[in-house]
Amino acid sequence: MGAGRDERASVRAAQRGSASGIEALFRLHWPRAYRAAFLVVHDAAAAEDIAQEAFLAAVRNLDRFDRGRPFGPWLHRIVVNRAIDWARARQLRGEAELVDAQAPEYSAPLDASLLGALATLPAEHRAVIVLRHLLEYTPGEIAELLGLPRGTVNSRLRRGLDALKESV
Amino acid sequence: MRKDLERIEVPGEHEARERSWAVVQAAFVEREPQSRRRSWKPVAAVAIALVALAGLLSPPGRAVLDEIREVVGVETAQPALFSLPSSGRLLVTSDAGAWIVDPDGSKRLLGSYREASWSPFANFVVATRRNELVALELDGDVRWSLSRPDVRFPRWGGTQADTRITYLSGSELRVVAGDGKDDHRLARRASPVAPAWRPGPAHVLTYARRDGFVRVVDADRGTILARNEARDVVRLDWVADRRLRVSPTAAVLFDDSGQDVLRTDGRFSGAALSPRAQQLALVSVRGGTSVVELVSRAGATRQLFSGRGRFDGPAWSPDGRWLAIGWPEADQLVFIRVAGRQQIRAVSNVSSQFRSRSFPRISGWCCAP
Repeated sequence: MGAGRDERASVRAAQRGSASGIEALFRLHWPRAYRAAFLVVHDAAAAEDIAQEAFLAAVRNLDRFDRGRPFGPWLHRIVVNRAIDWARARQLRGEAELVDAQAPEYSAPLDASLLGALATLPAEHRAVIVLRHLLEYTPGEIAELLGLPRGTVNSRLRRGLDALKESV
Repeated sequence: MRKDLERIEVPGEHEARERSWAVVQAAFVEREPQSRRRSWKPVAAVAIALVALAGLLSPPGRAVLDEIREVVGVETAQPALFSLPSSGRLLVTSDAGAWIVDPDGSKRLLGSYREASWSPFANFVVATRRNELVALELDGDVRWSLSRPDVRFPRWGGTQADTRITYLSGSELRVVAGDGKDDHRLARRASPVAPAWRPGPAHVLTYARRDGFVRVVDADRGTILARNEARDVVRLDWVADRRLRVSPTAAVLFDDSGQDVLRTDGRFSGAALSPRAQQLALVSVRGGTSVVELVSRAGATRQLFSGRGRFDGPAWSPDGRWLAIGWPEADQLVFIRVAGRQQIRAVSNVSSQFRSRSFPRISGWCCAP
């Protein structure tokens, strides 16, 4: 997941105020940020808000961003942590309220597929699976991104994958 | 596994991406690059040092220091808009676009719009871009839009069943039905002042003209119901049975028959009638100080709040118990309780909370959700 030369050039251009620089970063990272958020929260509107907020945070902090570091992990840390927070808050609010709040066009088909199986896992487990298998971070990197002990990441991965195998 | 996760269909991905790009792009355009921020710091430091030195050396210098020491803003202000003091939702426009603020302080950016206004029952918002009038759901979804040149001052009036929107396109006053149909010109040579709808089903509005007159017209028939001479109008409002016309030197209230029933002289920059038109809130400017005053139907005046610089607003809470004003110099929103024991609540850092370089505007405070 190292920062490519193109990405560094885009960050540098965006820091200089180039709209094409920020657009290149957005187009490069949006699809995975949005998908990662969706796979954790299972709500398209919330995923859009989360990914959008992450990019707005990036814009706000662009001048302080270290060009030597890759942009993706920094963005993904915000996305996944916010997605976990959102999923926890949803649990607290209760599902009945959510059904009413959800716009009809965003009703995701939660069938017996992988998406449906993911939905049965706790948000924290979904997050490590998404980070490991969609965004392809190592367990060590995930531990750093989420501020967790590496052993916790490994156990969540193992339990999550076991549960997925049973469901799918 | 990665391929399986990438194959999962995420609903509305393309639309979500384009909506978010519009918001991110707007935020990027409005951001202040660090190099510019850095550049003023040494200058400011030198300026402060010079002023301090001047303060030590000379009486005029000490006067400057005293001036600087005078605090601009409410000292006990909260650092963020944690909640609204009353029911209803605030509509705010900033450089980033139009925002809805819920009573719990949560904010939603509707999109990149220059102006916005509530529908009569706050179920929708009408907003403008430079050449577009847009009717929005409260989640920011576009219900319909209309392309017209130089669109400004949208105002939505009517009843639950039948509404009209008026707006200016250049100097034309235009009206369109609430469903976006039957858009037509109502008048030419309108002044750049927001028109005001008479509450209720009649589709009657008042607007200011460039020829120095204010007219009351039936928007469906195009007939002129009343006209008064009034130059340099800064604000029009119509609540219950009272119509308000504010010029820089006078605020005049008219009753339903068109008779002027109250006149207050002063230098006014803003005004608003309370929800049942029992009181009139006025913002006047005296020297470098702005003053918020309350005027009863009988004409009794009570000063509520004052501060250095200019105030934006005011806007009434839906229950008529609070007034909101913007204080750009202090970067604060100030909420003034006018019913019962007077109380002031202020919020700082308003511009950054609405992702704006210029101070955001309160575009309405409407109706309990």
